[in-house]
Amino acid sequence: MVKEKPEIADESGDKYKYGFVTDIAADTAPKGLNEDIIRLISHKKGEPEWLLEWRLKAFAFWQTMTEPSWAKLSYEKIDYQDLYYYSAPKQKAAPKSLDEVDAELLKTYEKLGIPLKEQEALAGVVAVDAVFDSVSVATTYRAKLAEMGIIFCSISEAVKEHPDLVRKYLGSVVPYTDNFFACLNSAVFTDGSFVYIPKGVRCPMELSTYFRINARNTGQFERTLIVAEDDSYVSYLEGCTAPQRDENQLHAAIVEIVVLKNAEVKYSTVQNWYPGDKDGKGGVYNFVTKRAACRGENSKISWTQVETGSAVTWKYPSCVLQGDNSVGEFYSVAITNNRQQADTGTKMIHIGKNTTSKIISKGISAGFSNQTYRGLVRVAPNARGARNYSQCDSLLIGENCGSHTVPYIENRNKTAVIEHEATTSKISDEQMFYCLQRGIGEEEAVSLIVNGFCKEVMQHLPMEFAIEAAKLINVSLEGSVG
Amino acid sequence: MAGLIQDIKLFGEDIPWFQGLREKGMEAFRRQGVPTAKTEAWKYTKPRDLNADDFVMNDSAFLAEFEGAHEEEHSGCCHHHGENCHCHEEGCRCGEEIDVRVDLPFDGYQLHFLNGRFVPVYPVLPRGVEIMTLMEAVVTQEAKPYLGHLVDLEHYPFAALNTAYMEEGVYIRIDRNVKLDKPVILVNHTEADAENLFYNLRNLIVVESGAKAELIEWYNYTGAEKSRYFANVVNEIFVERGAELRHYKMQDEAFKANHVALNMARVRSDGFYDAFCLQRGANIGRNETKVLLKEEQAVAEVNAAYIMHGWATLDTTTDIEHLAPETFSHQLVRGVVGGDAKGVFQGKIHIAKHAVKTEGTQLHKALLLTDTAEIDVKPELEIFADDVKCSHGAASGELDEEILFYMQSRGIGREEAKQILIDAYLDDVINKVADVSVRAWLKDRAGA
Repeated sequence: MVKEKPEIADESGDKYKYGFVTDIAADTAPKGLNEDIIRLISHKKGEPEWLLEWRLKAFAFWQTMTEPSWAKLSYEKIDYQDLYYYSAPKQKAAPKSLDEVDAELLKTYEKLGIPLKEQEALAGVVAVDAVFDSVSVATTYRAKLAEMGIIFCSISEAVKEHPDLVRKYLGSVVPYTDNFFACLNSAVFTDGSFVYIPKGVRCPMELSTYFRINARNTGQFERTLIVAEDDSYVSYLEGCTAPQRDENQLHAAIVEIVVLKNAEVKYSTVQNWYPGDKDGKGGVYNFVTKRAACRGENSKISWTQVETGSAVTWKYPSCVLQGDNSVGEFYSVAITNNRQQADTGTKMIHIGKNTTSKIISKGISAGFSNQTYRGLVRVAPNARGARNYSQCDSLLIGENCGSHTVPYIENRNKTAVIEHEATTSKISDEQMFYCLQRGIGEEEAVSLIVNGFCKEVMQHLPMEFAIEAAKLINVSLEGSVG
Repeated sequence: MAGLIQDIKLFGEDIPWFQGLREKGMEAFRRQGVPTAKTEAWKYTKPRDLNADDFVMNDSAFLAEFEGAHEEEHSGCCHHHGENCHCHEEGCRCGEEIDVRVDLPFDGYQLHFLNGRFVPVYPVLPRGVEIMTLMEAVVTQEAKPYLGHLVDLEHYPFAALNTAYMEEGVYIRIDRNVKLDKPVILVNHTEADAENLFYNLRNLIVVESGAKAELIEWYNYTGAEKSRYFANVVNEIFVERGAELRHYKMQDEAFKANHVALNMARVRSDGFYDAFCLQRGANIGRNETKVLLKEEQAVAEVNAAYIMHGWATLDTTTDIEHLAPETFSHQLVRGVVGGDAKGVFQGKIHIAKHAVKTEGTQLHKALLLTDTAEIDVKPELEIFADDVKCSHGAASGELDEEILFYMQSRGIGREEAKQILIDAYLDDVINKVADVSVRAWLKDRAGA
């Protein structure tokens, strides 16, 4: 992994490799948020009445809520009326094939290295539902997946083509009343992905989405819904890159996953949005609600995340373990450098009997950044035989960064066994000395050690993601030593 | 909240710096009020029946005496009630033979509080130890450099309330290089007539450079089994350079009582503060310990145990602030929760910027005995320096069936086997108490 470092080190003399803006005329709704904007979004997307009503209900509720302030984050107050809530690349009809897609757009993805074209499938069989700003522009491998009964499309399409499924599951895991940002998303979400794996089907390839925030001042509110029926399996990848911006951009997404009996969903994220420059100017605000409900017996959900980007991250992928013997896993690597702030962690709610959960969180702070692991493990009174193991390790690089651990453990069943461990340390001088005397440069040594520190999590990522993530770790830590 | 702001006359209102402190406390309490479920520091421990207006605060015993002393028939009535008092007033215990000494399996300098009021019977003290009431220390200005210096009123509503009404309490000073031979024992006794009593207690403990002392606090009751009272205690503890204080506490309150205590300790270089608290009484009991490791090589050891049945909520909260490089702290907390009880542990290790080469460890373990018991844990690390070693661990579970089976197969009854295991579980932390005779007493109390 270390060998690959030089080629990704720099592209244009800029630290942020993906900081470019694609020039496409965007179809943008006026600034601000009110009922009319929500009606407009709903109308533009040709949504049914029930969805509009649901959005309006969410909006009404949102107006009664206050922005949470409990996280260890400090950022300028967001003016929600100063944002654009709808922006879609201009295009008349939905594209039928890749040829119809704007060449400019394809170029952007090429720079990002997304294997969108067919021949690139050889690089890794990956179906990409690329979300460019808010509207899904191209979906590959649809046909192949459709043969097996798998639905993989944008959520707007799903609303039109599979309304029953969407209506049944939308908001069932994350209700609009859940929290401030989830409520905002419910009111104004523009697009996202929808995945449906029918009973007994094992999805043959890894499904993947790339999110890009592009147009200026557009909050991106995407919504992902994954439903895995009994005995099914799917691995879903989400990768995020955003071009460089001076103003902070808001991102408030929701991911809902429903896992039924004996099904398994693996959700992997690599997030490398623009983190702001080294003085903390600019960067993406990332307020994400991710939750999976294991509704059936023996169902399993596994979250893996590599968080290297965003100026502010507020994200707690959670597992609600309702079915007996269901399993929840959370593997996380979070890296903050310069002035980045991350408050991230997970929630494991044990409701069913013999449910097990595992949390492995690795945090690396460098520069002037601050990072918090915030987690909750709750065992309900009836969750007999529940089992949790949590491990949170933090690594500090430099004397100006901070690393915090705030786990909450609530056990209401005596047969539950809960273990939590956390450690904080720096890269030991011995390790560094050893590397240096073998002729490995300081920066390289740090990335070697950090990669080793994260290995436990990285090995849970799918292959192509693991490589990208390893590169990102190196990029993120550039300039943190010395 | 209104119920806790009471118009009572207190002694010392004419001392500006002291009264100023009280006013600050009152302002801070008015701003915060009684903590609710939304108060993060009180997330799991809800002082639910606190809003009740029927708590009555102790009025000023001092003031009554002081005013009384001006009248003829009270002549001879000293500043404290004493042998020469002839006032015969109701409530005056002067004429009675005061025998509050309690039998403890270890020797010590006993001081007594009855229903939140100091009983003026002083033990014979060796040279180099000064003990006086808080008000004496205030009047003589002794307390001025210490009182209120550690408590952050804005974040501790009950400490703010305590500050607003402070009057009772003792000031203990151990002079330079004095090594105290026996522990100072504070016995806080509540009697049956304490229904709805709310008392504030404020103690100042100063251990001067190179001195060594042991302090034992014991909160107990007689007859007041069902009485509901509230003890609000704040201890401000100063461990100076190279000094050592071992602070052991046993909380044995009546089962409907509330007990909220805040121990604020500041440790200077080479100082050592060793705290242990065993909680087993009260309906809501909270023992909060905050240690400021102010200078290099300061060491704190904060251990605790709790054991409960019934409906209680027992809360152990710690906050260790490493403010200087090369400071060390260790925490071990163990709890046994039965009945419908709820155990709470919130522990925090804070490492300030530049406080490098520090070490902080923390371990909490809890045993759940019944299906209705609950345990809530929030161990927290807040680290702003890179060259540190910090860790925390938390675990909870039930008694090991296999071990129980093994013991039963050896002819030990199930209940007895359970008790043996529970005792052994708590022994682990009680064994951290250095004083062997105190340790034996604590073990005895834990099993009782």
